Amino acid sequence: MNDLAVDIRGVQKGFDGHTAVKDLSLAVPRGSVYGLLGPNGAGKTTTIRMILNVIVPDQGTISVLGRPNGDTAVTDRIGYLPEERGLYRKMRVRRVLRFLGELKGMNRRDVDRRIDEWLARLNLTEWDEKKVDELSRGMQQKVQFIGTLLHDPELVILDEPFSGLDPINAQALNDTVLELRQRGRTVIFSTHLMDNAERLCDSVCIIAKGTKVLDGPVAQVRAENAGRTIALALMNGTSEAVSKILADKTLIDRVDNSNKTLELELAANASAKRLLEQLVGAGADITRFEIVQPSLHKIFLQRVGAVGVAEGMSGHG
Amino acid sequence: MGKLGVVIRREYLERVRSRWFAFATILGPLFFGGVSIGQIVLASHAAVSADASHIIVIDATGTGLGKRIVDNLGAGVSMDTSKATLEAVPRDQLDSAEARALTDVMHAKYEGYLVLDAATLAGTAAVYNGRNASALQDIDHVRDVVRDAVLTERLVSAGLDPAQIRSLTKVPLQLHTERVTEHGLGGTGMSGALFGYMVAILLYITIVVYGQSIVRGVSDEKASRVSEVVVASAPPDTLLAGKILGVGGVAITQQLIWVFASAAIVFFRAPILRALGASETANIPLPGSISVAGGIELVLIFLLGFFFYAALFAAIGATVESQEDAQQASLPVTMLLVLSVMFVGPVFLAPTSMLSRVVSWIPFSAPIMMPLRLSLIQVPLIEIIGTIAGLAIANLIAIWFAARVYRVGILMYGKRRSFGEIIRWVRIS
Repeated sequence: MNDLAVDIRGVQKGFDGHTAVKDLSLAVPRGSVYGLLGPNGAGKTTTIRMILNVIVPDQGTISVLGRPNGDTAVTDRIGYLPEERGLYRKMRVRRVLRFLGELKGMNRRDVDRRIDEWLARLNLTEWDEKKVDELSRGMQQKVQFIGTLLHDPELVILDEPFSGLDPINAQALNDTVLELRQRGRTVIFSTHLMDNAERLCDSVCIIAKGTKVLDGPVAQVRAENAGRTIALALMNGTSEAVSKILADKTLIDRVDNSNKTLELELAANASAKRLLEQLVGAGADITRFEIVQPSLHKIFLQRVGAVGVAEGMSGHG
Repeated sequence: MGKLGVVIRREYLERVRSRWFAFATILGPLFFGGVSIGQIVLASHAAVSADASHIIVIDATGTGLGKRIVDNLGAGVSMDTSKATLEAVPRDQLDSAEARALTDVMHAKYEGYLVLDAATLAGTAAVYNGRNASALQDIDHVRDVVRDAVLTERLVSAGLDPAQIRSLTKVPLQLHTERVTEHGLGGTGMSGALFGYMVAILLYITIVVYGQSIVRGVSDEKASRVSEVVVASAPPDTLLAGKILGVGGVAITQQLIWVFASAAIVFFRAPILRALGASETANIPLPGSISVAGGIELVLIFLLGFFFYAALFAAIGATVESQEDAQQASLPVTMLLVLSVMFVGPVFLAPTSMLSRVVSWIPFSAPIMMPLRLSLIQVPLIEIIGTIAGLAIANLIAIWFAARVYRVGILMYGKRRSFGEIIRWVRIS
């Protein structure tokens, strides 16, 4: 069995002369939580829709759970939560869930049993005969979430699942994602909230302007992007000789001294070893000298840069 | 159950369960049954209103013409026993008598006044001025009575006995009409015509109402973003087909209920008509000679026509998100239907004409015109086959077109799309 839940190779998609996704390749391991990160308009939703075969790429191939995407046998094993939630507003909760479950190939008895379980779990049991538009927004989100997971999919794709969630529901979603991973399911979610991604994801892919910026396991991504930031703490503050070293632009690009610990950004051709040698040589009384692994938020800002920020990117939004 | 079945069932059940469906299904037979029975009741009660006898007859002929008219006016179809008022005047007082009568009519003491003079006696002219001067049946009745009276007056002058005149001039002729088909005689022409007319209107209403329902359904799915969830589980073509078949099923269900309920009303018409004071034996427009094969042809043509329009309506729904846009965008297709209905009159009057044949071949008008002609006359088999084949081809094209527009359209949010853009969708998908 192929150990990839999703394998995208050389995919390209354009709309009306604008390229939404450019030569994208990525591999999502089975049983992992995978984050698709990028600013608004980066091509995340287009990528997800192509995985789901809702839209067809202009070039490249996509296989899902070891089969070509679009294969009916595969479609029924995927659960999808779109960015903009959608339910039939005039339908009763149970009927709309039954419809979504049966559309995934479940039989009536199984679907009803699972609906009962999920409604009880999310405290919606007494709402099952209500029409969707009688529910609050939060409850509708829960119903949509049940619709996504009702058929116990092997691959769960969540497009911006945290947007619009209150802290309690966000935590519930967090827990559910982790539980899915424990049960060996694969979860792909897109987000522009780096904190969530860092907390939940095993692997990530950052895309901007339709192009992959980087991808891989979170630990590896952080390690690969480490080495440029150094945390430095000195016992007796900075002496004149030390200040001179910190001001040397051939050695250090930027100093952030907002904390007790200084955050130094190494210059392009400088090395941590040379910096440490010079500091020791200048008689600095060092209590901490550490090559810091940057947060995803920081990596994102470094790699996507100001363009991403201008286009609505936020590490904490 | 396959995905198509799941979609069909949702489309069907959600509509059939709605209050609107129950409302329209109950109102339909009441409306059509009511129209049929109402026609008979109205016809028997108000063939000629009593207004025709509530008039002044000013007779300046110096003969018995005025009295003869007064005697006959009241005994119209309504068997009104009241009599018109006769005012015999010498010729020189005619103007003042007319002025008085005019005042009386203006004060609503009478409905109108009839002036008889030498010209009337000569059979060339009479004058009637009245509040009911635009009531065609009343005026026809007055004219017939005056003409008969003038004729009788002339015959009496020629020396004939009045009793003999009555028996000679009374010709209560009724023209019985019957349709000729290739199987011989079948059904009264009039009942077939009324039935055909009702079928055409019913089909038109059904296509418009359910077509709009499809537009609303698709644009609602798009606006509420449900379509994205659904197309991630089932191909868009399945969703489109399920919608058209499901809504078609609702239309057929409703029509079957209408047909059976209307049949029940017709079957039990005797007590209903009795209660309304009309003759039980009155002629209700019945299908008469619709055979089983004819019925199948009719249903087949209607279904093909319905699917044809439904596909176009679904494509329109996929291009819009708001109800206002949906109304506007569906106007061109609705206009095609309205244009078809404009031909109902000409086809009704001359169902064998070249125009009638042409409009029953064109796919846009065929689903209404061919059933109308089938109800009116015996349409040659080759024409029926031609219509069905034409509609089938038109269906393939419409569904091909709709599937492409639908596939792209339901995921394109934002502004309403221009026709050029929609054509581009058809090319890219």
